[in-house]
Amino acid sequence: MQFDLGITRNGLIDTKILMAKEVSNQSSPREFLRQHSDMVDGLVRKAFQKAQSQVSAPSVCLIAVGGYGRAELAPYSDVDLLLLYSSSKKEELPPLIEKMLYPLWDLGLEVSCSSRSINECLKMAQSDLQIKTGLIDGRYLDGEYEFFRKLYGLFTKKVLHRTVQKFAEGLAKDLYLRNQKYEDPAYALEPNIKEGEGGLRNFQIGRWIIRAKYKTDRWDSILFPDHSRMLDISLQFLWAVRNQLHLLSGRRQDNLTFEFQEKIAPILGFPPGTKGIEEMMRQYHLSTQRISNFVYDILERALHEPSWVKKFFFFFQRKKIDENFGTAYGELHLFDPVTFKRDPSQLMTLFRHCQTYRTNMDFRMEEAVVEALPFIDDRFRQSEEVNQTFLSILRKGERVETLLKKMHELGFLSRYIPEFSEIAGKIHYDLYHVHPVDVHSILAVEELGKLRDGLYQKDYFLLTSLSREIEKTEILFLTTLLHDIGKGMDGDHSSIGEKMVKHIGERMGLSMEDRELIGFLVSHHLFMIQTAFRRDLHDEQVILRFANEVKNLNQLKMLYLLTFADIKAVGPEAWTSWKNTLLMELFLKTSHFFEKGAVATPFLKGDEMIQKLQESLSQEIISEYAEHLPDRYLSCYSSAEITHHIEMARSIEKELLLVEWEIEKETQAKVTVCTKDRYGLFSKIAGSMFLNRLNILEAQIHTWGNGVALDTFWVEDATKDMKSRLQQFKKDLVEMLSGKIFLKDLLSKRKVSNGIKQKVIPRVPEEVKINNQDSDFYTIVEVIGEDRVGILYEITQALTDHGCDIHFARVSTLGNRIVDVFYVQDAWGEKIEEKNRIDQLKRTLSRLMGKD
Amino acid sequence: MKKIEAIIKPFKLDEVKNALTKIGVQGMTVTEVRGFGRQKGHTEVYRGAEYTIDFVPKAKIELIVTDELVTQAIETIERAAKTGKIGDGKIFLSPVEEMIRIRTGERGRDAI
Repeated sequence: MQFDLGITRNGLIDTKILMAKEVSNQSSPREFLRQHSDMVDGLVRKAFQKAQSQVSAPSVCLIAVGGYGRAELAPYSDVDLLLLYSSSKKEELPPLIEKMLYPLWDLGLEVSCSSRSINECLKMAQSDLQIKTGLIDGRYLDGEYEFFRKLYGLFTKKVLHRTVQKFAEGLAKDLYLRNQKYEDPAYALEPNIKEGEGGLRNFQIGRWIIRAKYKTDRWDSILFPDHSRMLDISLQFLWAVRNQLHLLSGRRQDNLTFEFQEKIAPILGFPPGTKGIEEMMRQYHLSTQRISNFVYDILERALHEPSWVKKFFFFFQRKKIDENFGTAYGELHLFDPVTFKRDPSQLMTLFRHCQTYRTNMDFRMEEAVVEALPFIDDRFRQSEEVNQTFLSILRKGERVETLLKKMHELGFLSRYIPEFSEIAGKIHYDLYHVHPVDVHSILAVEELGKLRDGLYQKDYFLLTSLSREIEKTEILFLTTLLHDIGKGMDGDHSSIGEKMVKHIGERMGLSMEDRELIGFLVSHHLFMIQTAFRRDLHDEQVILRFANEVKNLNQLKMLYLLTFADIKAVGPEAWTSWKNTLLMELFLKTSHFFEKGAVATPFLKGDEMIQKLQESLSQEIISEYAEHLPDRYLSCYSSAEITHHIEMARSIEKELLLVEWEIEKETQAKVTVCTKDRYGLFSKIAGSMFLNRLNILEAQIHTWGNGVALDTFWVEDATKDMKSRLQQFKKDLVEMLSGKIFLKDLLSKRKVSNGIKQKVIPRVPEEVKINNQDSDFYTIVEVIGEDRVGILYEITQALTDHGCDIHFARVSTLGNRIVDVFYVQDAWGEKIEEKNRIDQLKRTLSRLMGKD
Repeated sequence: MKKIEAIIKPFKLDEVKNALTKIGVQGMTVTEVRGFGRQKGHTEVYRGAEYTIDFVPKAKIELIVTDELVTQAIETIERAAKTGKIGDGKIFLSPVEEMIRIRTGERGRDAI
């Protein structure tokens, strides 16, 4: 017959919730754990006593083990019990256990109970790590106290204190496996609060080792007061989160999923919305980092504290480095423990020694560093010696990530660069950014280090060689470390970051030039990504503007490397060969531009011109056209002309063609033609001019990004009949473009009858160059030769016949010599690269020029 | 129900996505892909070393639409993805036999 424990299942849940409310109003989450545990103690004792009264059983002792044993019982944690019995009467136990457990299970408690004799316990604890750790936390509940006393006397003496080293090794292995399991980036976003890295289990591991090694349950007694206070705050925070997690989910839920992050943040008093979640998770990461550091520190002490034999042996292997430092057993040590307090600048020297002698520091050294942190003040941060040492560490480039990680872990980095503490543990509430900002920043440095060390040589050869040809390695490392520093503040993190790094650079005593460089890289650290993934890399304009912004090859290289490190450090899946290809293409095209700057210079000042246009055009029109105007075009005309061109372009929406002219000096005129670009347009215009005996002296043809062709011609007509000839030209062109007449029909009717007097002049040797090297986007055709009427028509027609689309041309006449340059592509927008096509085109053009 | 698969230029992805959302397409799958068609890869030179881009990066989108929406969706992709130059990509259309929403077990049109 089952008995009643005086409370129902729902009653128990209500009690828990009520208890949680009361406790959270006044005291710590630990208090809840204790009160909850007390309450469960009451229920378990009651069940045990009632069961004993109903079944005749031998005398036993009831012990709480595990987390319940520590009286740290989260709302839905397991209640682990151990029933100790005297060896002989084992078979009488099951009815007792059954009687005791059923009513507890009915209340929804996750109770498990093992029954063992004292000897079994000791034996199993020696071989099974989990049983051993469970026993450490054992707490007497009810029954035969003598059994409990006996077990723990033997356990402490024979098991716990005997094999400390082996115990620590076992736990270290367990920790390693556990952390490896939760290393997956998914757990960084939705961490497991108990089992994850820096989680509650990690803390217990540290505590068990202290218990075994220092024979005390006061884990804080072996730490600095500051340290243990911070650790306690971290622990309390995790408990607070876990309590809510259990209460909200109504079960033993330890994964802090997005769903619960959203619900718990406001309950714990964080501001509403994403911001509050990010703040809560930031605190979460800071807490787990502290716990993680704690457990590694303790493990380090337990595993590596040398025995006196070793100490004696290594005494003779000590080496002196300078008056403060020496090495022994492969680790750095201090001669005088107060060195850092006397001269804090030695802290930086310490890190340089770690790099130079490729050693680590032992835990005593780490303690000395932590103790000296309050001595890092503004004088330290501005000290030339300190900063030069720091920069020399970065310049050397070896193990930089390891050292920075250590600096950060010890709290040194945040003291030295206080701005860095603002991004510590800071997270983004999204799926893409896996790591908190500080971790991400140091990982980015690590990626850069791997690149320099040649680990990516096979996959990313170009990046590897770039990383080695950079002149100012220290600036690149520093930039990478600080590229997201603006994320600690509200607003656009790139531009805030720029100001911050310039300020930091000034404090470190960097030159003006280096400060500007860092500022540029930080403010532009997303620029390459935006251009490579969201812009058409086959559009020359895109590359020109990118190059214009990046300014020089050195900045381009650094930006490329920073971009690589940044993406690679976001998470294992962020960097793909797809992204690599696009970034590489952008890099190569831009680098070509810088290397061949001279050919491609007629751009620049594009932005200035757009600014100027705002005086004469409405914002609406500018935003419609600005992106379509090539820089090469912008550099050829005044703002008044461009304004006028845009007005023309707006009206060709309705009309097929606009032709305007200004007659100068009776025989010369400037003709502007505006129409929608089409294949062979230039040759049609040149042909119509030829028909009407207009001799082309100069021409500039431009094609805008939106398909508008804007061409300007300076023409000459010796007969002073300019106006009527121009009118006829316009009429012919309109008919030709609308397909009513064909150029070749008109030409065959009117045989050449030149209006300009022929003089006897020296022959000009012809020259045709077809160049594919100077532009990544166009084949450049250059034609030099003797001028004659109609020559431009013939050249452009030949280009059209050979499948060349003319995008830009500059035609000029110098005396009797013409110098024409054409930027052409084939019908698919590609360069003309097949050798036989180039040869054919060259032959045709040479023949034209050679003809009299 | 039809499946539309389109290979487009990466920088056109946002434009295509927005255009499709506007006509009522509710979801799509996007993949980073590489390949070549008429637009062959090319070789770039930096400091004497050659870097071959033999497979051109593209974005692949996949979406399932009802028969009524097919024509409109294809036209939308065509318009938004077009630059008029080589390498603008391709659109493939194929029938879909069945579709199941795993969470609810809904089938056919309801699962879109």
